[in-house]
Amino acid sequence: MASGFLRRHSASLMLAPAMLLLAVFFLWPVLDLVRGSFAHPDGSLGQYERVFSRPAYVLVLQRTFLISGLTVLICAVIAYPVAYRLATASTTGKLVILAVILIPFWTNLLVLCYGWLIILSPTGTLNKALTGIGLIDNPLPLSGNMAGVLIGMVQTMLPYMVLPVAANMARIDPRIPQAARSLGAPPLQVFLRTWLPLTMSGVIAGGLLVFIMSIGFFIIPAILGGTKDIFIAQLIEMNINKVLNWGFAAALSTVVLVTTLVLYGVGVRWFGVDALWGRQ
Amino acid sequence: MNGIPKDKTPGGLLTRRGLLSGAAAAGGVALAAPYYIRPAGAQSAGRVIYATWGGSWEEAIRKAWFEPFTAATGIEVVTAQDNTYGKFQSMVESGTTEWDVVEVNPDFTFIGAKRGLLEPLDFTVINREPIMEGEGFVTEYSVPQVLWSYVLGYNTDLLKTAPSGAVDMFNLTDFAGKRSIYSNPNSSALETALLADGVAPGDLYPMDIDRALAKLDEIRSDLIFYETNAQAQQYVSDGTAAMLIMPDGRAMSAIESGAPVAIQYNQSFMTWSSMVAPKGCPNRENAMKLLAWTMTPEAQAAIANAYTYGPVVPAAFDMIDEARANILSGGPQQQGKFIMLNAEWWAENYEDATERLTEWRLM
Repeated sequence: MASGFLRRHSASLMLAPAMLLLAVFFLWPVLDLVRGSFAHPDGSLGQYERVFSRPAYVLVLQRTFLISGLTVLICAVIAYPVAYRLATASTTGKLVILAVILIPFWTNLLVLCYGWLIILSPTGTLNKALTGIGLIDNPLPLSGNMAGVLIGMVQTMLPYMVLPVAANMARIDPRIPQAARSLGAPPLQVFLRTWLPLTMSGVIAGGLLVFIMSIGFFIIPAILGGTKDIFIAQLIEMNINKVLNWGFAAALSTVVLVTTLVLYGVGVRWFGVDALWGRQ
Repeated sequence: MNGIPKDKTPGGLLTRRGLLSGAAAAGGVALAAPYYIRPAGAQSAGRVIYATWGGSWEEAIRKAWFEPFTAATGIEVVTAQDNTYGKFQSMVESGTTEWDVVEVNPDFTFIGAKRGLLEPLDFTVINREPIMEGEGFVTEYSVPQVLWSYVLGYNTDLLKTAPSGAVDMFNLTDFAGKRSIYSNPNSSALETALLADGVAPGDLYPMDIDRALAKLDEIRSDLIFYETNAQAQQYVSDGTAAMLIMPDGRAMSAIESGAPVAIQYNQSFMTWSSMVAPKGCPNRENAMKLLAWTMTPEAQAAIANAYTYGPVVPAAFDMIDEARANILSGGPQQQGKFIMLNAEWWAENYEDATERLTEWRLM
């Protein structure tokens, strides 16, 4: 009896310590945060009324989602061929590609930002080189605007796109495109009708991951961005550490949390994102 | 001269913000364990725990203040890091106050008092007599620590004539080039806009934020925001911006490193850092003794000679040579040219001003 119980529930039992840790140190604080967002002298929805009535917050949320969305699109376009190469390369090739992707990933974010600033600024390395060889007359506006933010964010987020897509590609049965080819499909057809549909779930999984992480960004938009590039995390931090309005910070955080959960739900329900974490 | 960059303005500590970016999005504030440094051979007269901005500043106050203080009193000064307001509040509210003295920006002397987070200071131990006059400078709960200023820093390669002050910040015809201001609203940009719009220095507060933002409209297309003081120094040095409202220490660092940068002290805004004691601090008596020590002319001269901040005790200038005094906030070069930032007004209006500046930036 007892051994039967242990055998049947061995996986759950082994997971229990981790679950307990998450419950105490993650789930409970998050619930406490959400609860805190409903504590307001003007009624339980007072904080949320302010989030949606002052233009500042709606505009910043729009901006945060817009730039995060663009980051996903650019990452997808850049990551797709890299992931293909990674999935199909030899062991040495894999190591080289992984190193190239992961070294900037391990670099301190501030170092990375200031590095980009030196390269991208109007008097920076890149613009000096381009004007020097006569390719352009006036420096390109590559920092202090959305272009700067996107360059920084795409570089940082690229591994989160490449790795899921490559993992997905590695699982595809190579006989499927082979079959398409042997039946006379031209390369473009093979790609569009077998390879692309089969890899879409990897792209969407990577995209969700990138989007969810991007909306929490702070440093990159602040340093490489322009006047309009304010992310919601900056306003949350101000409320926590400058004006000590934790209830309002909690409401802003809850808005971001709910958005993330809804997106994840959409990914699981319609795009099979959970396949990425091992569901068959 | 000591060219240590300063990073004490709000939000200047990027490492902290970097850590917070993830945590804030997830909604939690990670409370890192305090990092205590214990000097060897500490005496038994007890100790006092001092929460600091850290870095090169901490090294400077250790040499200028703590070492002589410990030698004279036997009280050991233990430093702690991560002196954020958020951590301050969570400590006091949970009854686990570990700090005795905390370095803060002056707005917190009002925000903290309003929220009941501060211990009243004992002015029978601390002599407030020699401290400079100024509104909100000394409060029931705080003493000022050192002075610094927001000045007009400009790139001399781009601007051949020196701008005269606030009006030229908005004169794009004679002083063409990008302008840059701090992304935090309480960094004297709004005040400068009002001065340029004709408001007398004495009538700045309570501030007409709408009028200030309307004035900023005039330079909107040439305005860039900096997020860290290091960035301001980079902008003025490489010419990304021609004219900036920036901390004096950062402008001086740029000059010392050989960049084509100069400072206009006209209509500069003087501000300061403060020291407070959190409610329920474990070593209250020692905290008062340490604060008293730092308010002596000798201690103020020692820190002003070590770091480019001005002394809050004017008598300290007697112990500072002329060349040094000229580059310090409150020194002879700045006399008659500066205006004091109103910390109390900012403590009450920071949130509203941030919302309006954010809306201005996005609309």
